[in-house]
Amino acid sequence: MHNQLAELINKNVLGASAVVNKTEDAKTHASITVEASAIYKVAEFLKTNTEMPFNALQAVSGVDYLEYIEVCYIMGHFDMNAPRDLILKVKITDRVNGNVDSIVKLYPAANFQERECYDMFGIKFNNHPDHRRILCPDDWEGFPLRKDYIAQKTYNGMEVFPDSKSNMEDREYIVRQGMIKKAQEGAANKVQ
Amino acid sequence: MQDGVVLTTLDDFLNWGRKNSLWPMTFGLACCAIEMMATGAAKYDLERFGCGAFMATPRRSDLMIVAGTVTLKMATRVKTLYEQMAEPKYVISMGSCANKGGPYWQYGYHVLKGVDEVVPVDVYVPGCPPRPEALIEGVMTLQKKIANERLLRNKWVKHA
Repeated sequence: MHNQLAELINKNVLGASAVVNKTEDAKTHASITVEASAIYKVAEFLKTNTEMPFNALQAVSGVDYLEYIEVCYIMGHFDMNAPRDLILKVKITDRVNGNVDSIVKLYPAANFQERECYDMFGIKFNNHPDHRRILCPDDWEGFPLRKDYIAQKTYNGMEVFPDSKSNMEDREYIVRQGMIKKAQEGAANKVQ
Repeated sequence: MQDGVVLTTLDDFLNWGRKNSLWPMTFGLACCAIEMMATGAAKYDLERFGCGAFMATPRRSDLMIVAGTVTLKMATRVKTLYEQMAEPKYVISMGSCANKGGPYWQYGYHVLKGVDEVVPVDVYVPGCPPRPEALIEGVMTLQKKIANERLLRNKWVKHA
């Protein structure tokens, strides 16, 4: 199904360059990666075409791989005769000004999902009707689900990690274990 | 007049009235609120202790049961609600999250580490979530605390 669909997308949408990500085992799902700049046209095509339509957007999520951030659109087709679903992926390499086109006009379900994706990963969705944070407070700093996220020290005068209420022994233990590991690695390198 | 018979008796009378008509605020934040509802419902019946009239506004309530995870976003609202309550007012911190951050105590970037960072707490009820019996125990502990208060003496007698 994925190969056929990727061919269809490439034939009908200019600059989509759809690639199928195959999987080795049956536990994981195959997916299709398209160019970030073409996502609106691809979504429009997937919704309106007659051969393999997808009439529902189930979820929009993000994954941080450090080299790039990936936005996944999980689409489905609710039809008793031919049920199918698709994981559509978009890669964004710019961590500071990363942006993709919003697909809210096509799938209204994307509204909150895209807001959550912006809240957690800091990806801007162009032409979004209500582009705000959804879970964190509006004046929150940083994007929590990024791999390089460090929480702010205080918020509105409240300490986020008060020292008096943290398990300092545990913290010291973790730091000490890290130092021991480094020393051992250094010693091993010297021997070599 | 050092803590005379009149004031003591009057205090006792007022305390008796206040401790047997604690009105909590309808205020649930997370799963602990489900246990709080169970406590208020027919089987555990918080009304037996005069504590079952859950008020829908902070201005009419004496007791705030902080039932659930207090996120940093919610903490400012909790503080505002506490400030809107009329004196004398009491706070029960219900469950591990409200006590000390619960499962988010070390790595939760979004959770306040204990509601006592923003409001003064009278009784802590441990548990995750506490059973209704535990909450009733907390309420009864608070009632004992109220019974020993000396509001009039503290107000009128100097150097008490």
